[in-house]
Amino acid sequence: MSQYAFSFDVSRCSGCMACVVACQDQNDFVADETVAFRHVTKYEEGEYPSARISYFSLACQQCGDAPCIIVCPAGAISRRQEDGTVLVNRDLCVGCHSCELACPFGAPKFPEDGKMAKCDLCVTRREYGMKPACVRVCPAQALDVGPIEELSKKKAEKASIAILKSLIFVSPKDV
Amino acid sequence: MKGERLVILGNGGAAIAAARAARTSGHNGEIHIVSDTNTPAFNPMLSPYYLKRIIPWENCFPFGQRFYNDYAVHLHGDSPVESLDTARQQVTLARRGKLSYDKCLIATGASPFIPPIPGLRSSPRSLPLRTASSVRSLEKAIGSAQRMLVLGASLVGLKVAEILRKRGIDVILLDVVDQILPRNAHPSSAALLAAYFEEHGVHVRLGCALEGMEGATDRVTCHFPEGILEEVDFVAVCTGVRPNLDFVRDQVEIKQAVVADEGMRTSIANLYAAGDVSQGINPLSGEYEWLGTWGNACIQGRVAGYNMAGLDIACPGSIQQNISPFFGWTYAQLGNVHPQGEDVRSIIFGDPRREGHFVLVFQRDVLVGANLINCTQLAGKLRWAIVRKTCWKDYLSQGDEGFTTYAIEKILNETAYGVSEIGLIGSSRKPRRIFS
Repeated sequence: MSQYAFSFDVSRCSGCMACVVACQDQNDFVADETVAFRHVTKYEEGEYPSARISYFSLACQQCGDAPCIIVCPAGAISRRQEDGTVLVNRDLCVGCHSCELACPFGAPKFPEDGKMAKCDLCVTRREYGMKPACVRVCPAQALDVGPIEELSKKKAEKASIAILKSLIFVSPKDV
Repeated sequence: MKGERLVILGNGGAAIAAARAARTSGHNGEIHIVSDTNTPAFNPMLSPYYLKRIIPWENCFPFGQRFYNDYAVHLHGDSPVESLDTARQQVTLARRGKLSYDKCLIATGASPFIPPIPGLRSSPRSLPLRTASSVRSLEKAIGSAQRMLVLGASLVGLKVAEILRKRGIDVILLDVVDQILPRNAHPSSAALLAAYFEEHGVHVRLGCALEGMEGATDRVTCHFPEGILEEVDFVAVCTGVRPNLDFVRDQVEIKQAVVADEGMRTSIANLYAAGDVSQGINPLSGEYEWLGTWGNACIQGRVAGYNMAGLDIACPGSIQQNISPFFGWTYAQLGNVHPQGEDVRSIIFGDPRREGHFVLVFQRDVLVGANLINCTQLAGKLRWAIVRKTCWKDYLSQGDEGFTTYAIEKILNETAYGVSEIGLIGSSRKPRRIFS
């Protein structure tokens, strides 16, 4: 199995939000709803005159040892064998929000029906040979997708890795 | 190590997680799960959703019978543990005789606590909610009841009150403490939730004790202070749970529950404990604490399973945490909102009907607890900030008025991607205005 993931180059992102709009469009969310599987947040550093703003475009990280899978009481979240994508079976989801509490990235979203939905790396688009909507639309090419071992280390967004390492989950292969 | 016989006492989240972890890490010896029922693993956390008619009954058994075949686990059903001999490494099961083990996991969970109120324990009309059979009993009661008392405004009590109300029953929600969710809610969140329950037709009575109960064939009379009497059809008992550890009480270190180290090992060799029967390390306090949640049980069970299979894995520990939807609102509790000691400060802002209600509790400028109502999209990030003991000194020095959802998210980004951790308290980094 090859684990697929996003890569994100923080030095390229201008915070234009095109990825968020593309995500909403792809997943048929109403434009004025706040729900999108991808969100962009701002990080400010330093003081005038050397102040700097960076933007982080984040969606579900398809974590290697996903906390949401472990804590889901209904067994609704699972990993797809082919590419490691973390998927939610909405027929099993009860809307208890346990995954929301477990996810350090705020990836689980709860549209109007109260059940969890999240980024699946545009699994349907990829099955037809296309890139996820956010990757396709990014004008600065800050986002990319692919098998994790192929993604450039320079481009890889390191914050997510740092968070995960510090967090919790250790699997036998790490031992 | 690999050919050893593992015996798991209990058949809940921790037990299943342990068996799966042991098998996936290459354990090829026998794995036995001992259960006091004849069903596959039942998840009590799902029962409110069954009672609300969101899921069918079979979904309350999320792993199904298939799990035991897939992971080559021998399930000993209807076999309550009678005794555990840790010296001989042997378990005695009711009706099944003895079972020896190389490594044993205690994952027997917890049972509802029924307070010693006259008439309550003996009444067939007092209904706790925990096991599959108790859920069936409550379901049957709901079918015939018109008026019910929910004893205990705990998280389960609130869930039961919501279910009963949604099923058209007149509900009294009672607690002896003068706020709902006394253990895990800040008074401001508790007051908002209590008012919201009242809006939905739940009669909330706080600071009021049930002094006694008299049974009749079809209804019971509840006695309250000052001679007040109420007739109800049933009493749902939601006054907490206690760990199931009687069979091991004199053999292993117990405080509130069985004490387990980071590897879920108890004080006895080859004996492990996980889930609601154990107490592990709370990284926030550094103390051994009993934190009974499904997610915590699964994480602890998994660590125990790996270690029983011969690995050496440490459990990260857990903080108090809960999240639950009530009548369309979502409430989350993280960490400790009632810290003892000096330098405690609470920041409270926001309206649950608009951007959400926040309670952030700090001790010596370190975030130690939070309550969220309808802003739980930040719950995971805040949980992480609490576990990492992030220092908010720079932001707190700027006063309360600037705290908004946007500001909180911004701070969380800075604490996630930046450097303002506890180790940097008193660093030379200048405070920066962030609420511009």
